[in-house]
Amino acid sequence: MLQFQYDPATNPLNNNDWSFPLFECIHIAMFAMSVGTIAIVDFRLLGLLFRKQTPAEVLKATSLWTLVGLIVVITSGMVIFTTDPLSYYYNWSFRYKMIALVVAIVFNYTIHRRVAMSNCTTAVNAMVAGVSLLLWISIVFAGIFYAFVEELPYAGGPPV
Amino acid sequence: MPVVHQFSLAVQNTAYFTALRESALVYPIILASHLATIAIFGGLILMTDLRLLGLAMTKIPASQVIARTRPFKHAGLLIMVTLGIHLGGSKLADYYDNPYFWMKLSLLLLVFVHAMVFRRGVYRNPAAVDAADGPPRIAKVAACLSLALWIGILSCGRWIAYYDRPEGQQARANQIGRQR
Repeated sequence: MLQFQYDPATNPLNNNDWSFPLFECIHIAMFAMSVGTIAIVDFRLLGLLFRKQTPAEVLKATSLWTLVGLIVVITSGMVIFTTDPLSYYYNWSFRYKMIALVVAIVFNYTIHRRVAMSNCTTAVNAMVAGVSLLLWISIVFAGIFYAFVEELPYAGGPPV
Repeated sequence: MPVVHQFSLAVQNTAYFTALRESALVYPIILASHLATIAIFGGLILMTDLRLLGLAMTKIPASQVIARTRPFKHAGLLIMVTLGIHLGGSKLADYYDNPYFWMKLSLLLLVFVHAMVFRRGVYRNPAAVDAADGPPRIAKVAACLSLALWIGILSCGRWIAYYDRPEGQQARANQIGRQR
């Protein structure tokens, strides 16, 4: 097994009062930007917002900001993860979040994008928008829930 | 402030807020919904501000961005405040002397002032914001102030959980994020 020495107690984020919450604020603001812009496309697909524009136009208008938001939200998330990697790793809510995040990103840049760029039927648009909204909201929920769920048992006994 | 303390205690000790606070499921669901509302409706505020600054969605007229997103933002604010009252009420005795809590409420009040101040010049003025050379300076000022207000509200909201009373008594467990 590849192992390396890392003591979270040496992490700067664990050694002052302000940096952990600061990164949380960045994380929250940037998921508002990424999920918010994806939701704008979803609302368009549902026929609720910007009906004068096509879904493709709405997607093009927001995609840069979705990408910027995703990059910063993931980067800040990684920084937060380093403050206590093991307790995140042994948390089922965190594991769900990581899997759902990968699924949501792949979905966003494949099916979601393709449907938004083409003239699909109302039903297909609505279904894709619904899946997208549910996926992203579930990721936000998982992010809150890992403060409230019990840790999973360590597979090979507690790590030293 | 014993009176305020007793009042806050009485509020959070009502059967409704007690049940909410002690529920292993309802409290996190309300908190997560509060955050999900930030994600969806906060994103609309952010994008409107970026549109007024001429940075995002420039192919969609600014007046349309403002007018079309308005009902969503109103609904979002209503949901957000309702959820927030539940979160705050259920732990009011922890929050009533928390400076970040009061900063957050003051900034929320300023959001309404902001909306009133810029209503005629920006938010209900499609001709001005759709000007050929981009939104006027007043619209950009409005957008910057809006960004500052909402980032402030978000940050205060997060910092509420990290405030310790000077005496250091009363460990506040159970809030989002790990206490350290």
